[in-house]
Amino acid sequence: MAVDERGQAFTHPVYAFLEKLPGISLGLTTADQLLTWGAANSLFIFPMATSCCGIEFMSASSGRFDLDQIGSIPRGTPRQCDVMVIAGTITVKMAPRVKKLWDQMPEPKWAIAMGSCAISGDFYRDIYSVVPGVDTFMPIDVYVPGCPPNPDQLFEGIRRLQEKIRLKRAGEWTEPELRPDTPGFKVPSLPRVGDPARDASLDEAQLDAVMNLDPGGMLRRSEG
Amino acid sequence: MAVAHHEGAAVAPVGPVPTVVRPWPDPYLDPETHEAEGDLMVMNLGPQHPSTHGVFRVKLWLDGEVCIKAVPYPGYLHRGVEKLCEKLSYVQIPPIVDKNDYVSPFINELAVCMAFEALNAVEPPRRSQYLRTLGAEMQRVASHLLWLGTFGMDMGGALGGGASVFMHCFRERETILDCYELWTGSRFHYNTLTVGGNRHDVPAGFAELVKRTYRAIRDRAHEYDAMLVDNAIFRARTVGVGRVDAQLAMELGVSGPILRASGVDWDLRRDQPYAAYGEVQLNVPVRSGGDCLARYEVRMAELLESIRIVLDLVDGIPEGPIAALKPVKLPGAFKGKAGQAYVAVESPRGELGTWVIADGSDKPYRCKIRPPSYHAMSLLPYLAPGSNLSDIIVTLGSLDPILGEVDR
Repeated sequence: MAVDERGQAFTHPVYAFLEKLPGISLGLTTADQLLTWGAANSLFIFPMATSCCGIEFMSASSGRFDLDQIGSIPRGTPRQCDVMVIAGTITVKMAPRVKKLWDQMPEPKWAIAMGSCAISGDFYRDIYSVVPGVDTFMPIDVYVPGCPPNPDQLFEGIRRLQEKIRLKRAGEWTEPELRPDTPGFKVPSLPRVGDPARDASLDEAQLDAVMNLDPGGMLRRSEG
Repeated sequence: MAVAHHEGAAVAPVGPVPTVVRPWPDPYLDPETHEAEGDLMVMNLGPQHPSTHGVFRVKLWLDGEVCIKAVPYPGYLHRGVEKLCEKLSYVQIPPIVDKNDYVSPFINELAVCMAFEALNAVEPPRRSQYLRTLGAEMQRVASHLLWLGTFGMDMGGALGGGASVFMHCFRERETILDCYELWTGSRFHYNTLTVGGNRHDVPAGFAELVKRTYRAIRDRAHEYDAMLVDNAIFRARTVGVGRVDAQLAMELGVSGPILRASGVDWDLRRDQPYAAYGEVQLNVPVRSGGDCLARYEVRMAELLESIRIVLDLVDGIPEGPIAALKPVKLPGAFKGKAGQAYVAVESPRGELGTWVIADGSDKPYRCKIRPPSYHAMSLLPYLAPGSNLSDIIVTLGSLDPILGEVDR
């Protein structure tokens, strides 16, 4: 069974026709393995570098750590990239831009949240202008903790992502078990988007603030 | 206009508001009133652009390739640090302000710690002062190396592939981060300074490592300087580009290497000595060109000067304790005095000031941070009109903005 990167089986008339041909499954399996090998070992990275973690990302891509050795190079445009590395704090003003750049990336695509600001907002999460974790508005595949994480830890994150790509395309991926809530754990003051505890008017106010921040009206969408 | 006043109160004479005639045009003029030949193209540079040094957005009105007007929109990295400082105790603030100017965290820590010490009249011991001076100068070299690398990237393919200077400078910068890792346990965001002194003493063999590292950097810095200033393309892209008038720079509050490249001899390390700078021999490089080449020369001379200071200092650090106060175990255990204090230090970008107002509790009432990059960025609307789009990129790179401290 072929699965896409979201773990859902996909069907196509050509695929159904091909499966009936004698001996084609062997070729398809080989082709699938080849594609998986290629996808996992040539991850082009789009650095969404906003703050301190961006400097560590630059260190990772420079001489000593050498991101090229695992077939990854940073590119300046989202249209050429497979992985978005979100390195740094994402503010309410920046979040729509990040989402727009994420939407511009071609499928299949993955995202790595690098650093505690991107993961949860860290100590800025109670601040009025900071998004408490980028997974509030876009899917994240791998979280690399640290403030900022060393380049070695970023490499470990990329290796985990490669493993995830291989397992997902082979259909062997199981979602990791979530850690149960610790009693007495301090919940972030701003409930996440989609949380039933979150006030709907908060969403509207935040959206309104984001849309009307820009004097140029670049983000103002047509009504209806 | 009638002016209401009390009987007997001194009344200031009311006259016409004096008009100041300035030699430069108003950068915020309406493009509609500007008589351009063709239609103007409005273009957004940023907030996600590899050459804007972070998340900076500037809106450009272009007539062909020539910029007519530029309006910057900062705030894409506004993290509310000043508000956060009101919530945290004095001991918790230095690791927070590390993230402001993430290229020189040591000097950020120094600025707030010195402000808190001035508020509470705490004098760090002599060894701590020398270690702070040593750390600040080591950090200045790392910061200028990162600037040189990204400035080379901004030049694009003109310099032998573009990324060559970047790769060379990051190679040297990694060796500096190794020194800091040995000293404080962290590559950056050290959390090593506290009110009244330092947290970490230098380990054994630190002086030898620093001397070996900085001698190597000094030799290679001469190499890079020779490689760049003799390059015809480098000169063509920097000479006369982004010329900053000294009067304009002073009116906008610009400081640091940009001001010194415009011919103003002003350096807080020499003119208002803090830490151990009063006992250090310091030469301040000044250029009068005001263009990108002058800024490059000032930063390059500062880099070599800082290396010399590090090599001079590292052997002469006096013995003694490294902190005047006992380390506090709980965040709220340190109570500050009521009052206010303003302390400015010379960061690699200019005057980094901290103004703290305290009400006697364990938290500051208000903590204002004066970032040098914010004032440097306000030069851009004055420099951009009349220059090519490619020159704006080089000008922006030569201003060396760090958006973490612009937006805070």
